[in-house]
Amino acid sequence: MRRSRMLKKESPNVSRHLNENVRTMKEQFSYGLNKDFSMRSLTIAFNQKQGRMFYYSSTVNGEQMNLHIIKPLLENEGKDITDIVSVNNIQALTDFETIKEYINSGKAVLFVDHDSQAYGMDIASFEHRNIFKAENENVIKGPQDAFTESLNANISLIRKQLHQSQLINEGIQVGERSKNEVNILYNKDLVNPDILENVRQRIKDINVDTVRNIELLEQYLEERPYSLIPTILYTEKPDKATSYLEDGFIILLMDTSAAALIVPVNFWCFFHTPEDRYLRFLYGNFSRAIRLLCFFLSSLISAIYVAVSNFHSEMIPPDLLLAITASRERVPFPLIFEVIIMEVAFELIREAGVRIPNPLGPTIGIVGALILGQAAVEANIISPIIVIIAAVSGLSSFALSEININFTIRISRFIFIFAAGFFGMLSLVGAFLLFVMYTASIKSFGVPYFSPMSPHFLSPNDTIFRKVIRREWLRPNYLKPKDLVKKRHR
Amino acid sequence: MQNQGFLQTKEIFAIVLMLVAIKAADSTPSLFAQKAQNGFWLIPIVSFVVIFPSFLLMIYLLKRFRDKNLMELIESILGKTIGKLISIIIFLFAFSTLTLDSRNYVEQIKVLYFPESPTIFIFFIFIGVSFFGAKKGIEVIGYTSWIALPIIKISFFTLIWLVLGSMVYERIFPIFGSGLPVILSEGVKKAAIFAELFFLLIAYKAAKEEAMFRKGAVVASIIAFLEIIAFYFIYITVFDYNSVEKIAFPFHDIAQYVQFGQFFTNIETLFMVFWLFAAYLKFIVFLYLIAWMFGTIFHIKNFEPLLLPLAYLVIIAGLLPFNSIYNEFVLRENLLMIMSPFFILLPFMLWFIALWKGELKR
Repeated sequence: MRRSRMLKKESPNVSRHLNENVRTMKEQFSYGLNKDFSMRSLTIAFNQKQGRMFYYSSTVNGEQMNLHIIKPLLENEGKDITDIVSVNNIQALTDFETIKEYINSGKAVLFVDHDSQAYGMDIASFEHRNIFKAENENVIKGPQDAFTESLNANISLIRKQLHQSQLINEGIQVGERSKNEVNILYNKDLVNPDILENVRQRIKDINVDTVRNIELLEQYLEERPYSLIPTILYTEKPDKATSYLEDGFIILLMDTSAAALIVPVNFWCFFHTPEDRYLRFLYGNFSRAIRLLCFFLSSLISAIYVAVSNFHSEMIPPDLLLAITASRERVPFPLIFEVIIMEVAFELIREAGVRIPNPLGPTIGIVGALILGQAAVEANIISPIIVIIAAVSGLSSFALSEININFTIRISRFIFIFAAGFFGMLSLVGAFLLFVMYTASIKSFGVPYFSPMSPHFLSPNDTIFRKVIRREWLRPNYLKPKDLVKKRHR
Repeated sequence: MQNQGFLQTKEIFAIVLMLVAIKAADSTPSLFAQKAQNGFWLIPIVSFVVIFPSFLLMIYLLKRFRDKNLMELIESILGKTIGKLISIIIFLFAFSTLTLDSRNYVEQIKVLYFPESPTIFIFFIFIGVSFFGAKKGIEVIGYTSWIALPIIKISFFTLIWLVLGSMVYERIFPIFGSGLPVILSEGVKKAAIFAELFFLLIAYKAAKEEAMFRKGAVVASIIAFLEIIAFYFIYITVFDYNSVEKIAFPFHDIAQYVQFGQFFTNIETLFMVFWLFAAYLKFIVFLYLIAWMFGTIFHIKNFEPLLLPLAYLVIIAGLLPFNSIYNEFVLRENLLMIMSPFFILLPFMLWFIALWKGELKR
């Protein structure tokens, strides 16, 4: 806070003398040293006064500038600068602090001699990718487009789906040194004002030099940075974000990220994909059932294998038990050690697979499959059944594509393996129960994590399974939306 | 206290069921079978009939006095000194029940699944998990109970379904076992198997509305009762009176007895997993209630830090009995016999005094 006050104190107002203003600007932006900071002098046609325009040549659209600012200023006649310039957003500015912000955010600022205000003109054009297919949240049925690193493009993707004047896009500045803008999107007629205020306040309370993108913002917003459980949903799909907007959730966007944040969330949000709703009732629920199974398999199967074969081997049918024992006969390690070797190996492949340069991609597959699978078994380092177990648990974890919950499961898996190795089912059940209780105790922006299942709230009951679309006539009440009931299809 | 009034009828229902219904699956049946032979499944009926009116009366008193939990109610009716004394007695009862029960459960786990591990180790894990669970507060306990409830019940009913084929209904005859007098007297003496219902009343204000608590508690106690009866009935029809007397843990014995098709023949660990869930939850609830009682008696608003010392005390006191037989058949039985008249009569006493003082007319 103190620093920001100091910065503000230094910023003088725009003077009537052009030279003074130019000097201040040059000083502030290190003109000459800073190569892309440009100044353009011109004589304005209608009043024959001197003008100076400042901008970053790298962030403005040169063509637009020529066509809509420079050409009109040099040629057109009129009463006022605002009448002459034909850019779609022009603002009169009086203090240098705002001017700085304007130029930093890619706009151009014009000073005119004998004028005690400057003119900020929006011709910003930051470079960004085009809109591509979603890379990490794939769907077979449903819209394929994904957010890109441009705020305007992202908002247009959302507005394309939601033609409502109630959809508000609010901007809040964040960061002390580099002021970036966080945009809050919500439906004015639905959103709960308390939650909205909470989100606004938390963004305003962020007191750091810069918050570059939404991924960092996520970490500044959450309540429990050390927690294993995520409390903010991250998505790169505009249709997913929009479906949450429709229910009264709040979306956060920034210019620099190809993703949106959704708050508040509960446990189920991390399981759902938009495709569950695009698929027909039975198909969608089938895929949810599989995903739930994957959740349990991925987090528990290795642990259960350790517990059962170490402590409760009587449970395994005799033939299978013999098969397992025979395959383990030549393996020198304890079983839990074997499981951990294999799980760690899988995590290695996975981490390396993400980081590996594209041309080398296929190599890792060969290395992973051959060395860690077959060769390790033949070398008697692990038993074949462990390969199956690790493969099942690894494969299942991919079904939960949401990146946060994916990490939660991958980490908790190791906790469960150790718990199972400690005292079999006794400690495994204990660990799992405590994990569930810990999860139940989490709140995301005041919303209990297992709502609406427990505590119960009126809602479309879109938890493990979903209802038929035409029967969903409620909005989730754990958000306390202003309007609970949707229009009903009969 | 981490309570923001999110608990509703469902969660209270689940908590009560967790606390009481697992009586169907511990060693209580063998305690009964010693005396009443194949009539033992009737004992809980007698007990319930005897103790349920007292429970309802207690609920009625709580309803009339509004905004008070068990201990506060007792104090406001009986005055500070006697009220505190009675409250402390209830706390001691609850604490002893918890201690003896936990030892009992630990012995079950040890005997059935970890015969070579030392009791103290299992005790520490068991109560340790319960402690960490209880530390999360009554709301989270409520949510978890409700989420776990269907899974636990499904597993129990699967067991019933699997064992149906082995039941011989004629085994309930002679219907009164060792005789009607035995069943009646045992039923009254051991009425305190439902004593948990009274301990639960300390959480009277936990729900969003008091009516929700009342509804949840009453409905759940009836369902728990039916469940207990159903399981006891199964034990007697599956094992017959001769063997049921000698079986310490009928639930686990049935789990070992059943098989799922020809391939999965030993599925007891599967049921043990869900039984463990239920057992952990029971002790999480119980531990929390005890800390709550202690906190109310000694006016400690923030009683959750008490959980750790209390949990430790439970372990130490639980390890005191020399062996599990002594624990089960002497200590636990005596405790039940002391508690029964106390809990049957206490509500009536409170009611009379309140009536006499004219406090019910308001």
